[in-house]
Amino acid sequence: MNKTNKPIWEQPWGYFEGFYIAIGIAVSGFLLQITIGNLQLNAFQYPVNLIVGLTFVAILILCHYLFKKSSIVRWLSSVYATVPAIVVLLSVIIILGIVPQFVPYASPHDIPHNLAGLFGWYQMTTSWTFIFISYFNLIILGFVILKRTRRRFTWQDIGFYLNHVGIFLAFMGGMLGSSDVSRLSMTVAEGNVEWRAEDERNNLIELPIAIQLDTFMIEEYPPKLMVVDLESSLVLPKNKPVWFEYEGENKSKKLSDYTIDILSYIPNAAIMHDSLNTYAVPFHSEGGASAIKVRVSNAEMDNPKVGWVSNGSYMFPHSIVYIDEKTAVAMPVQEVKKYTSHVQVYTESGDIKEAIIQVNKPLTVANWTIYQLSYDESKGKYSTTSVFELVKDPWLPVVYVGIIMLLLGSLYLFIVGPKKKKS
Amino acid sequence: MSWDYFIYFSTVAVILWTIGAVLAFKKDKRLLPTLFTVAGLIVFFAFILGMWISLERPPLRTMGETRLWYSFFLPVVGLITYERWRYKWLLSFSTVLSTVFIVINIAKPDIHNKVLMPALQSPWFSPHVIIYMFSYAILGAVTLIAIYYLLREKKITNTGKLMEMTDNLVYVGTAFVTIGMLLGAIWAKEAWGHYWSWDPKETWAAATWLSYLIYIHIRLKKGTSFRTAMIVVIISFVILQICWWGLNYLPSAQRSIHVYS
Ligand code: HEM
Repeated sequence: MNKTNKPIWEQPWGYFEGFYIAIGIAVSGFLLQITIGNLQLNAFQYPVNLIVGLTFVAILILCHYLFKKSSIVRWLSSVYATVPAIVVLLSVIIILGIVPQFVPYASPHDIPHNLAGLFGWYQMTTSWTFIFISYFNLIILGFVILKRTRRRFTWQDIGFYLNHVGIFLAFMGGMLGSSDVSRLSMTVAEGNVEWRAEDERNNLIELPIAIQLDTFMIEEYPPKLMVVDLESSLVLPKNKPVWFEYEGENKSKKLSDYTIDILSYIPNAAIMHDSLNTYAVPFHSEGGASAIKVRVSNAEMDNPKVGWVSNGSYMFPHSIVYIDEKTAVAMPVQEVKKYTSHVQVYTESGDIKEAIIQVNKPLTVANWTIYQLSYDESKGKYSTTSVFELVKDPWLPVVYVGIIMLLLGSLYLFIVGPKKKKS
Repeated sequence: MSWDYFIYFSTVAVILWTIGAVLAFKKDKRLLPTLFTVAGLIVFFAFILGMWISLERPPLRTMGETRLWYSFFLPVVGLITYERWRYKWLLSFSTVLSTVFIVINIAKPDIHNKVLMPALQSPWFSPHVIIYMFSYAILGAVTLIAIYYLLREKKITNTGKLMEMTDNLVYVGTAFVTIGMLLGAIWAKEAWGHYWSWDPKETWAAATWLSYLIYIHIRLKKGTSFRTAMIVVIISFVILQICWWGLNYLPSAQRSIHVYS
């Protein structure tokens, strides 16, 4: 910390003053939060956010030129201001990382009524504390960058500019742009065309684009088998649960203490019960379930158990094979490997775009990006509806420029490393 | 290949690394320690590769699989720093830390499972996680240096060289943390429609990053004591551990999309 014994608040300021100020800013955020509650995001929509952003940068530049000699502006561009500001931001982020978060549009009734709620910690990213300390960091960052422009440019400055301008753009673009982000969800049935979508508050919104769903397909991983303890519903052995994936008929596998022989497999089966047994037969229309016939045995059992195991579907119940009263062989719900929507997207200008949309393979049309979000889960692999998420984020280019600068800045950090110290 | 063979591959690797680390103390030549360490790395990587092939996906999904990469990268970092700064004890440190993670993996193996949910089926997945694991290994190594420094502060003769090494490793580690984080952001945009949603994993990743930035910035001032800097290194690593696995135990993580199975 400050080595000299100068009284606090006497210039030049150091870390002590920095901590007082940064904590003071966080505390004023608390106080404002307690009096007026969370920031209302829609108050910041375009063009208000653009004006605020430009004014912010203009004021920084103006202060930089007008108060060149001011010791406060000079201090604001120093490491002594930087470190406390980052430490307080870090503390706020740690609270954000511990306290469970609610979405910004959550109903106030759902949010716990305690001290943390009063401080806005359940919706930290729209709390005044968070906004204040973030902008304080941005102010310092702005002055740090401006101060550097006074020096004659050398190639060593490139890393500094990439990192600092990069984080400035990404951080500020992200904060200002967050009010302009639209996220809508749209459900489309096979063969239908849809142009209305719901926002997060369930308002129906008409869009300038329409999506026609030609086909929707789900691919699942092969079924699995496991031995479960029916009382605790835990997979056995309890300390090290195991299961195996179906790999073909006539195979034998060890599972827990048992040998499981795979006798036959029907990917699309009807599951039937009579008074004694459960059995499976091939089912030739939609709604069939995966079914595997197994023989379970081990040295202690008198007779092996034979039966059909199935994880069921929306039409048929699931089925297990009892080993004794407490244990059985069961098939968990199959995991989804891939889901694919074949779509045609119509725009207002009359363009038609044919595309395949999958998770991780979105489609961008007329400022909207269309993501594969979900499907009719009650029908599982037989779902004929697809749920899309449509996102518009007009500030994205600003953030991406920042991210790319930061990526290059990181390469600089990696390759060039720290400045050589003289000592 | 399956986890059942892990104990054999890892035992051979640990033995080779240990011989390398011991030879580093005995010999003045760097050739033999280097060869043994590299041999251990090849054996260990053969296991990772085998898992990759038999799982039909990169082994990066579960906690145990990420520990696998961590155990691999630690000796890599140990070797690089040994070649560059000639600190003999670094090879031993990295071997010990790597062994700790190997033992955890033997005691608590993962289930053999090919499933990779759709969100993870992305070309961003492997670089994102592997870069993070590499940075974690570097920052793990530098944490060992910080602990070593704080324990033996009075006895260390060449603190200047030690701090230079610490600065270098933190810069490289932070660079990779930054790259891993930003690749994650780009991927999140691709998969979920937003580059940053303050999911607990993202929040703790930001905290980790800021914490290392504090180190970088306080070191710019000559007056900062080495002790303070080393303490920041250790606190940062604690935050990193919360980000990696500690977060599964926090109230905020109940709805995280990132919690490992
Ligand atoms: C909250 C954001 C940040 C603030 C307020 C800040 C502030 C500062 C300040 C005051 C300096 C000293 C500048 C000078 O001597 O002219 C500096 C230098 C430096 N900062 Fe930052 N910084 C921030 C973010 C970052 C980031 C994101 C990185 C890297 C990922 C970074 C890496 C560095 C490096 C490497 C230097 C030394 C550069 C050199 O002297 O060439 N900083 N920063």
